Amino acid sequence: MNFESGFLKRFTIFSQKLGAQVHLRSLRDAFATIMPLFILAGLAVLFNNVVILPTGFMSKIVPASVLTQWQTWGNLITNGTMNLSSIVIAGAIAYHLAVNKRFKNPIAAVINALSCSVVMLPLVAQVAAIAQPDRLVKVSGAISYAQIGTQGMFSGIVVGLLGTEIFMKLSKSKRLQFNLGNGVPPAVANSFRVMLPIIFSICLFSFVSFILQVYVHMDFVALVGILIQQPLKAVNTSLPGYLLIVACSNLLFSVGIHQAVLSGPLLDPVLLANMNENMKAFAAGQHIPNIINYSFHNIYSIMGGSGATFALLIAIFIFSKNRASRDVAKLSIAPGIFNINEPVIFGLPIVFNIPMMIPFILSPAISSVIAYLATYFGWMRPCVVMIAWTTPPFINSFLATAGDWRAPVVQLFIIVVLTLIYLPFLKVHDHLLELSAKKAAEESEKK
Amino acid sequence: MIHILLACASGMSTSMVVKNMEKAARDKGIEAKIWAVPEVEVENEKDHVDVILLGPQVSFLEDEVKTMVNNKIPVAVIDMMDYGKMNGEAVLNQALELIGGGK
Repeated sequence: MNFESGFLKRFTIFSQKLGAQVHLRSLRDAFATIMPLFILAGLAVLFNNVVILPTGFMSKIVPASVLTQWQTWGNLITNGTMNLSSIVIAGAIAYHLAVNKRFKNPIAAVINALSCSVVMLPLVAQVAAIAQPDRLVKVSGAISYAQIGTQGMFSGIVVGLLGTEIFMKLSKSKRLQFNLGNGVPPAVANSFRVMLPIIFSICLFSFVSFILQVYVHMDFVALVGILIQQPLKAVNTSLPGYLLIVACSNLLFSVGIHQAVLSGPLLDPVLLANMNENMKAFAAGQHIPNIINYSFHNIYSIMGGSGATFALLIAIFIFSKNRASRDVAKLSIAPGIFNINEPVIFGLPIVFNIPMMIPFILSPAISSVIAYLATYFGWMRPCVVMIAWTTPPFINSFLATAGDWRAPVVQLFIIVVLTLIYLPFLKVHDHLLELSAKKAAEESEKK
Repeated sequence: MIHILLACASGMSTSMVVKNMEKAARDKGIEAKIWAVPEVEVENEKDHVDVILLGPQVSFLEDEVKTMVNNKIPVAVIDMMDYGKMNGEAVLNQALELIGGGK
């Protein structure tokens, strides 16, 4: 295949290296691991702020004061999930990095990361007094959810990656290993083997934290927020930045590498942070700050799977007369409903298929722009609830916007637009298929 | 009894291939245990398998998985078109060939 030469070939090699890059993979794996917590947080927000909202429909049956009490349940869940983001992400990253690097004692890496991430927290926490919610009170002897929740997520990522790297480097040093000789139970021997490395790495982190707090008058969470989280968020979830990343992710998929390789590490942290801010704002009845967030990505940009191939399937069903294309579409429709679309990506195929690659790369950008504008102009509510990425279209947008019927309408509109965009390229694709079939038939006649 | 492990990004689309492979195995009268996992799980499963097949979307892991199993178990990437068309028979044949070639 000549089009595989040049740029595409180099890009393929680059993507394979990127996909195999251990830190990016560990980050992606870690997010996949903690995803259930975020999904549960989304359900809790939905339950508290739609189902049992004290001013909502349930108040006709149950007194508002009782509903407010019941909201405790959802609030507890939020604490254990969303408000714990930075701690769990640090542990999950440590585990996956250790496993991906074949480190023999991943649980030690997790413990090291958990300890290090708490070490980086300030000694004094600022909390709102219940009597006067506007006034912030400084308290000691407490960790505030603000530090270990969404705001701290990036420091959790930094500590998870850096702390684990340092710990594993130290563990490799023979000098730092206690050797208890034979005859000692393996668990005991293992814990002694990592003792000095853990001690050194926690001491190192606490020293950095101490310098920051005492001499710089700044804590790590705030520092990472200013240096990394805010700039990254501003770039990656601004409309142009976001469009660039989703388009590049699909370019990656069109050479056969799963798009999560790129969008996972680059987008997931900021999309989740934005999602959590939205959930919080919605729960507090405030203005929803972020149009682009985790649910937005799943329900508009990659509807029916990367490249919004849902629209492509519809285009095939309505317009294609080619047997091969129709067979693939039939096979792909059932998983496609749950946003799984490997069959159409590899079966049609879209991979290394220039005519199909063009709409495939453009489609997430087009759908994102439509959904962004529709939200911006207030034609539908922004996404405020985290939903599982396998939730079928229409249901997912209805749930994610906490029951806004206009969101599925926007989805429908996007599908129509994308179907029309896929159509001309599908015709070219079918035509090429027919040509090659004819050629094959002629060649077999010659023989 | 042969053990065939499939792996992809999240173990979702491969599990559909698994179903078709199981059917193909039944048709051929081959006793086989075939299952799919997300690629991160391969490490935990590798000791009980005869062959590991990777979905094309994680083809970049081929070398890593080969090192992981010390080249003792055959590892290969499933053909893109067979994968996309969920061609269980073709993938099963690929697995059987790999096992045959290994011995």
